[in-house]
Amino acid sequence: MLVLSRKINQSIMIGDDVRIVIVAVDRDQVKLGIEAPRAVPVHRSEVYEEIRRANQEALGAAPAAAGKAEKATLKPRK
Amino acid sequence: MQLAESYMEETAITVELPRFGSCSFTPSEVVEFPWGLPGFPSLRNWLPLNLESHPSFVWLQSLDDHSVALPSIDPWLVFEDYDPKLPAYAFTSLEIREAGDFATLCVVVVTPNAEEMTINLMAPVVINLRTKKARQIMLDGSSYSSREPIPRKRPSKVPASSKSA
Repeated sequence: MLVLSRKINQSIMIGDDVRIVIVAVDRDQVKLGIEAPRAVPVHRSEVYEEIRRANQEALGAAPAAAGKAEKATLKPRK
Repeated sequence: MQLAESYMEETAITVELPRFGSCSFTPSEVVEFPWGLPGFPSLRNWLPLNLESHPSFVWLQSLDDHSVALPSIDPWLVFEDYDPKLPAYAFTSLEIREAGDFATLCVVVVTPNAEEMTINLMAPVVINLRTKKARQIMLDGSSYSSREPIPRKRPSKVPASSKSA
């Protein structure tokens, strides 16, 4: 892992279009500002981890044999 | 006529699926998750399937790993008032222009006794019906749960209500 030291209001560029600014530091908490293109999702890692676990759980609970299936027709919300 | 049709027709692919048996599909029916899904980052190609016995569930069947299939459901069949405020990146990355462009599914955890069935309202799967590209969208900071219990008594169909989309 790359480790960089930054001061308040200094920033880090990731690639050409993601910028992370150190906004504030208070004891063990750091406030970050993130500038990223609209197509780039930004999440707290815990959220991603929670969804990852939820997906794994859905797979784990799914029955091993379900029966004959047909292709589903997907529709927009009415 | 027959010749022209068969010429135009896409090649059907048949796979043997551990859960569902033999299944044929054409490439245009495949839903692509270009970013994978959390927990399955390398599984990009999925086929939405219905079981005859439980038609309200849509099984997202991975075509890259046949042992992986995730059951999901139209969230509004269970929670009429569900109002996911999709972040801008959902529309931008999936090139969604209007409401009729996309379908929404939420992954469910189906336990043998349906009492404990839960639905992931925090991370709906959004599918662009035009391009067949999809992404699981995380509603960061929303109050929706990733394990919302599905009420046991629910209407078999959503009653016509005054609430409109």
